[in-house]
Amino acid sequence: MFSPPASMLREHYSTPEQQRETVTVGMWIFLATEVMLFGGLFTAFAVYRMYYTRGFDQGSAEMSILLGSINTAVLLTSSLTMALAIYSAAAGRLLRTYGLLLLTAVIGIAFLAIKFTEYYQHYQQHKVPGVWFESSSPDAGALQLFYVFYFAMTGLHAVHMSIGIALVVFYAFRTAAGRFSSEYYTPLEALGLYWHFVDIVWIFLFAIFYISGLHT
Amino acid sequence: MPAPTITAKSYVLTYVALLALVLITVLVGFLNLGWGSMFVAVTIATIKATLVAAVFMHALVEKKLVWIVIAGALIWFLILMTLTLGDYITRGWVLAGK
Repeated sequence: MFSPPASMLREHYSTPEQQRETVTVGMWIFLATEVMLFGGLFTAFAVYRMYYTRGFDQGSAEMSILLGSINTAVLLTSSLTMALAIYSAAAGRLLRTYGLLLLTAVIGIAFLAIKFTEYYQHYQQHKVPGVWFESSSPDAGALQLFYVFYFAMTGLHAVHMSIGIALVVFYAFRTAAGRFSSEYYTPLEALGLYWHFVDIVWIFLFAIFYISGLHT
Repeated sequence: MPAPTITAKSYVLTYVALLALVLITVLVGFLNLGWGSMFVAVTIATIKATLVAAVFMHALVEKKLVWIVIAGALIWFLILMTLTLGDYITRGWVLAGK
């Protein structure tokens, strides 16, 4: 059976510290490219919202603020359990890390379940551009454009969530298999960075889609 | 490997602060602030994102190299936003053609 050495140092690194730093900086650089990916969508959204403010405000007002707020709280909770999972790993309490990672995955699935409940409601209200879209609003065109951005951006976020959940489950099992210790848990740190980043993206999605049109 | 210096208590306190900010952003969202509504919503979102990055992603206690990567991401995103919006916002300011 495979039995990991305490530090899991690969041959091309001099010290465990150098290995950890490389992984951390590499992960942050990947997240920087993700900022560019989502940033393009946020910029496009900003331009169209500036041109079609009424339609976009109307679309935002049609969102369920209750489900949106609950989902934001759900995702923040999953970030807390993820942070505590890594904290436990650093303290050498790997069983707790395993439990907290599984809990994080379950909360992530709950987020997606609520999100898809919302998607289903939009479908029932015939607000899915390209599939079934009906509106008697004078700003129907702009409203449809709002929903295009809504589905594209929350959909891309949901894809990131799905990948995140799969990775969390994978690393939970690796934790249970004894691959990590208080000396070596760098992959869990990289996983945590990804998870929190996806949380940050949602924080902004929540602001532009749910909050901006609440007053109308 | 030196363990991150952030305590479990800090994580929980950050979480509570984040939930409070969610509540605040929803309550303020109901006020009619005109164009300010989006501004306030995004400002509060930025504060929340900063908290998540600083504490949950422990950017606060990371090396300068990580800070440079973060700064790079933010600066390039701001270039994208500023130049694009700078174009679209000012299009009505000059007369097209003759």
